[in-house]
Amino acid sequence: MVALVPPSGRAARSDRRRGRGLPVPAPDADPLDVCVNTQTPLLQFTGVATAEGVPTRPPETARLSDLEEGVDYRFSPGGVTRMVYPLLKRLHTDRRVRSMHWVALNPLAPETVFADDLVLHNVRVAPERLAAYGNVKETIWGTVHGLRHPEGSDDLFWSDDFSEYAYYNRLTAEKMRTLDADEDFDLFYVHDFQQMAIGEMLHTLKPKLFRWHIPFDVADLPESWRPAMTNYLNSYDTVIVSTDRYLGQLKEFGYTGRAVKLYPYVDPSDYTTPPPEEVRATSARWGLAPEDVVALVVARMDPMKGQDRVVRALARLAPDHPQLRLLLVGNGSFSNAKGGLGLSKADRWRASLESLAQELGIADRVRFTGHVTQRELDVAYERSALTVLPSPREGFGLVVVESWLHGKPTIVSRRAGVAELVRPRRNGLLVDPDEDDDIAAKMDLVLADPEGLGARLGSAGRRTADACTIDAAAQAESLLFGEVVNGG
Amino acid sequence: MTLPPWTAFLPYIEFAAILVVTWALGRLVGLLLSRVIGQTMPQVSAAAGRLGAVTVWVIGGVLALQELGVSTDIVLLVVLLFGVAAVVALREPLQNIGARYFSDLYTPFRLGDVVEVAGHRGKVIEINPITTVLLAEDDTLRSVPNSRFVQEVVTNLSPQAWREVNVPFSVGGGVDMPRFESALRKSLGKLRLHLDPRFPPVLMTRARSGQSTDLTLTVLIRRPEERDAITAEVGKRVADMVARAQAGRY
Repeated sequence: MVALVPPSGRAARSDRRRGRGLPVPAPDADPLDVCVNTQTPLLQFTGVATAEGVPTRPPETARLSDLEEGVDYRFSPGGVTRMVYPLLKRLHTDRRVRSMHWVALNPLAPETVFADDLVLHNVRVAPERLAAYGNVKETIWGTVHGLRHPEGSDDLFWSDDFSEYAYYNRLTAEKMRTLDADEDFDLFYVHDFQQMAIGEMLHTLKPKLFRWHIPFDVADLPESWRPAMTNYLNSYDTVIVSTDRYLGQLKEFGYTGRAVKLYPYVDPSDYTTPPPEEVRATSARWGLAPEDVVALVVARMDPMKGQDRVVRALARLAPDHPQLRLLLVGNGSFSNAKGGLGLSKADRWRASLESLAQELGIADRVRFTGHVTQRELDVAYERSALTVLPSPREGFGLVVVESWLHGKPTIVSRRAGVAELVRPRRNGLLVDPDEDDDIAAKMDLVLADPEGLGARLGSAGRRTADACTIDAAAQAESLLFGEVVNGG
Repeated sequence: MTLPPWTAFLPYIEFAAILVVTWALGRLVGLLLSRVIGQTMPQVSAAAGRLGAVTVWVIGGVLALQELGVSTDIVLLVVLLFGVAAVVALREPLQNIGARYFSDLYTPFRLGDVVEVAGHRGKVIEINPITTVLLAEDDTLRSVPNSRFVQEVVTNLSPQAWREVNVPFSVGGGVDMPRFESALRKSLGKLRLHLDPRFPPVLMTRARSGQSTDLTLTVLIRRPEERDAITAEVGKRVADMVARAQAGRY
């Protein structure tokens, strides 16, 4: 159990210096045994194909030390796992968490993978069920992100596909319940909308935390979903959302339990400044000349990310900025991966962006990098003059924090959660993502004054990023864990 | 003619054989009863199965004792007297236990509902085999015998309570719950025009052991006049699914 104490003496002074002012769990608090659940797994396995191209059944258990990164598996890029993994590592290092079990959907993975102190449990779902589950997931995703009319999916929860969504949730809940029989967890921590039914299905009196990672706007959600969704959400002891606005919307929607806002986060130590020669070499590989001025969009290849809006803005700016180039970094998500849900959305979206650039006559100004390593991501930020987050809806937008960590001026969609942290003309610029002219105008502002406005925005943004670091998150989540476990 | 010496053990062999047959019959009768009863009343199927098995064991035990030359008249008399005494002594609790089973089926309330019965009003916070515990508005507990809930008028004061249809039932411990739930949802989807579209079916686990899982299915109906028909249809679909699960389909 975690005992909570208010900050005092040295610890409090340290916290005040860091601008947090939060109470911290007592240093002698017992570490917790935690079961985490995400849809996307930490490690994506490629599977071993037979001569017929059919993946062989993976072994039941494996040790990570026996596997080779890049050959047997790769770390899932971005998204929820990029937050959860550093958090678990930090809480374990700080002795706030003892045993860590992570249950995720992973059709081609061994059932259990032992990764030092972390045990990964992979849930396997047959392809036909997976496809139906994927349809439900995409429907919820598209609706929440304003890509579907709210009334267009009224009967979603009655569809046969939803039976498979329930199947996946029940399968995961059963796995977590079985693990609990052996491990006697202190806390269940479920992440995101793909698993919202698990809290109800777990049938346990133990504390259950749920983190909603995507946007939460009542106007986007069909009225007919409200009873079912609130029923699912109310089965958790606490629901975490990413912004104050979502917090208000969650309560307006009908959630009656405890809700808290915690900003998403990154680990600043993951972000480094590559040497100039590496920046030059990698940029050249992407087709960028030294004199090019680079506008950067880091996002998954998905219509929801709104890269098309920046392509159109670029076309407007092209006559006045002959050296301006657009660098689009990112590939598909787990849903698009062959080892994931196998959807091909990313390829289709990239093709449509390429043809849009072609139509606008700026194909030679747009570069696609596909998936990049962390090192290459650092190069992309370093090489950029500005970054843009043009999403029509965005749960938060950690790429803005990444950009701030690199001290780059950032243009942010008003409909992204992170917009809550942007003070216009102080640490960033806000745009209406549906107004290409607005995006172009704000880009032009920064391009016209890189040393003045651009530098000021980047410098102030660097300070704002402190609110979204692993340090702040570990402290806040550790405190929350303690409160939830102790019923605080 | 002298009988071979092994025939001296014949009564014991027959005794053992009757016990073996009794064991097999007990299992068979228990299974059949729970399956047949489960077609109409899935929530009492497990108890019916156990009762059937116990009855077979009593009969088998008496027959087996007869083979050993034990006078079963006394045994039967003792069993009968015990039975009568138990029924007399446990009349009230048995009524309550019986009412508990039937209230699952016929009484329209569940944990968390505010009800009024026999002059007592409160939130239902516990339903045990003997009593239903109400938390009254003055923060006192009212323990109402379950039998009152089938003998008296019960008023459910929770809003929209008429909409809710709860079907408690049990499945074997070996049932693949994800597959079972998925199939059940698809089956109930056929009734969607008669059910409240805003409330998809909810399948709650009430208790779980190695042998069985106790569940409650909740659906909400659209029109009050259809309650009886929908309750019967949902119960039938659940019973069908439970029968399939027992046949190893899930």
